[in-house]
Amino acid sequence: MRTTRRMTRAPARLTGTAAGTRHPAPTGGGVRPVGTANDAVTPERFGTTDSPAAPEPVATPNNLRPTRPAARTSAALVLTLAALASTAAPAHALPQPMSQCTTSSGAVLAVDFSRWGGPIYRSCGTTPTTGYELLNQGGWATTGTGHDGPAFICRIGYSGFRAGRQFPPPEQDDCVLTPPASAYWSYWHANPGQNTWEYSQLGAMLYKPRPGSVDLWIFGGTNIEGTKGRPTVTPDQLRAKNTRPTSNRPVPKDTRTAKPLPPNVNTGPAPVNPPPGYTPPPAAPPVRREAGGPGTVPVNPNPPAVTPSSPPGATDTPAPTPTAAPTAPGAPTPASTAAVVAAGSRPKAEIADAPPAADAPYDVGSYLPAAGAGALVLLIAGGAVFTARRRRRTTESG
Amino acid sequence: MSRTLPDARVQAPAPSGTGGRRLPRTLHPVAWWIWALALATAVSRTNNPLLLFLVLAVLGYVVTARRTEAPWARGFTYYLYLALTVVTIRVVFRAVFATGITPRDHFLFSLPRIPTPDWYAGIKLGGPVSLEALLSAATDGLRLACMLCCIGAANTLANPKRALRILPGALYELGAAVTVSLSVAPQLVQSVQRVHRARRLRAGRTKGLRALRGIVVPVLEDALERSLRLASAMDSRGYGRAGTASRRSRRLTGALMLLGMCGLCAGAYGLLDATAPKLLGLPAMGAGALLCFAGLRLGGRRVTRTTYRPDPWRFPEWAVAGCGVLSALLLFSKAGFNAAELNPSIYPLSWPTLPLVPTLAVLLAGAAGFLSPPPHPRETP
Repeated sequence: MRTTRRMTRAPARLTGTAAGTRHPAPTGGGVRPVGTANDAVTPERFGTTDSPAAPEPVATPNNLRPTRPAARTSAALVLTLAALASTAAPAHALPQPMSQCTTSSGAVLAVDFSRWGGPIYRSCGTTPTTGYELLNQGGWATTGTGHDGPAFICRIGYSGFRAGRQFPPPEQDDCVLTPPASAYWSYWHANPGQNTWEYSQLGAMLYKPRPGSVDLWIFGGTNIEGTKGRPTVTPDQLRAKNTRPTSNRPVPKDTRTAKPLPPNVNTGPAPVNPPPGYTPPPAAPPVRREAGGPGTVPVNPNPPAVTPSSPPGATDTPAPTPTAAPTAPGAPTPASTAAVVAAGSRPKAEIADAPPAADAPYDVGSYLPAAGAGALVLLIAGGAVFTARRRRRTTESG
Repeated sequence: MSRTLPDARVQAPAPSGTGGRRLPRTLHPVAWWIWALALATAVSRTNNPLLLFLVLAVLGYVVTARRTEAPWARGFTYYLYLALTVVTIRVVFRAVFATGITPRDHFLFSLPRIPTPDWYAGIKLGGPVSLEALLSAATDGLRLACMLCCIGAANTLANPKRALRILPGALYELGAAVTVSLSVAPQLVQSVQRVHRARRLRAGRTKGLRALRGIVVPVLEDALERSLRLASAMDSRGYGRAGTASRRSRRLTGALMLLGMCGLCAGAYGLLDATAPKLLGLPAMGAGALLCFAGLRLGGRRVTRTTYRPDPWRFPEWAVAGCGVLSALLLFSKAGFNAAELNPSIYPLSWPTLPLVPTLAVLLAGAAGFLSPPPHPRETP
């Protein structure tokens, strides 16, 4: 049964190695130069980027003529060293403050933490990127499953939310096997100008967001086709509205503290999620996404053309000019240069900007338990050898 | 089902004449099977490499201490080879069918990449390989390997043919099939040893690929022949006979069993799949179990069979089966330890911890090594 679901549930599943072109130090400190040996073997990935061409000529022969493993490994090592030595390299996918994303550049990443009492975080990344890279930069981090590897997004964490704790926490999902279709991170896209969500047909490592598009991760259940369990926010509520980067404006450092509304205030058009701060502990979420079923779908097509001020980003800021309807396909969204900040004045899940942050620290742990276990194993093995010797002696003598 | 042997009073001489040492005897095979299956269940719970290695060590100790000298009892090494193969295959597959490397991973080496067309975008061949990917594949494989070794230990420690005598009467008709399936692994091990010895006696090559071809064909032939011979021997002893049952009662038994099995399957599906309707879960499971039980009782009523020299079920049997079940219960209970410690994080890489309670549970399973009576020094099967 698990197999069928695995075959059919596409989004986080179909995976590959399109991501991971950078190799920062594992502790999350500095960013290493781009062209490690790993990148060099797949030069085609550099086709669209402006990365230095230094490793490529060396690497191409290695790619074309597979040599013996030992030789290849040593070549890879040499290339790694060479790449480390060269101090080139703008990394080609970078986290950026939300104000740098516009209607035609940068990809917006949105992650819905409302199930754990958090907001929907938005952040921005430069575009030749993958969905996976967007989700693993600027303080974001993911965990895969033991069964499927890192490409299956099982947990998502942001270092600015609950000190980087990743959700769902281990007591809700141990992330050993593929999570059930009733509770997993589903992946949704909206291309520029599009106001409906599209259930991702590719895994995060394979999907390459277009400039000006929105990527959304929501936790919950979907059916196989992705027609149930759709997001309750619209792409226009999340996407960047400005046509130019607004970096000269003061960007709010942290908007997560926007005040939640009292529980029973209902001002928004689609009060599907509970107000933040009112959410009980994660063990018993009051509104389960899958409980809505088909009922959540009609909520979704929120006609923004009628109410141009309905996007949440516009409520606190100078209202965007209502001249261009955001739903016009392909048309750029209103030419408002207003910085899109968080909108806390909605009963829906609050939308907050997630500025690039350092990776959350993690504990490598101690090697002492491993040493202890090794000693214990050796002790038992010694006992086994002793027993075997004694048995052989008694057998021979008897 | 092991209690279906009422006259379990095999005349054991008083332990006074043994000088304080326990009398050698073979443990009831079902006790070993319960112990091994419980340990395998416990293993399925954890991904902690430290605990898994501990389980392997414990299995090795119990098998060395308590295996008999019977031919099938020398086969544990083969299960270890099989386990090693499983781990290797998993690691190689994870390296070739790359699942991708993340920016935080420890890059190890890179395999040449084989481009796939766009419509085949789901699978990537080759590419960078990280330490994390290989380690997670290895621990995953190690868990499966441990479960395999548990079954191997049961096959090594218990006499497969004696285990069959415990089969409920209704299942006698399946006896031949069950015998062949249960004894095929020990039979294969035995055949490999026989053929290998024969080749050595004839000074044939015992190593290399050409020798492999010379071994594989006779081994397969030998194993199949012996299984068939065993089945026919069981047939001549009354297995696979319908007895005095009427056609109607046989049909009723069959229908009950089939329906019961369907119920069990549906129940397992309902319990494991969170999206299945609630009715499929426990209710279907319970109904299936009831139907199966009724079928077994109905079928068992019409067959009366006597047993020659029944295996006794005494304290050591209780102890061995009990410590296996207890260790599984401890691992599933989450008592006194954090469940996350059973599955240490690989992304990001961190040292696994050694939680106390699961460690004690595994060591408790190892106590079967001295709770069971010693085997006969030289047993003829």
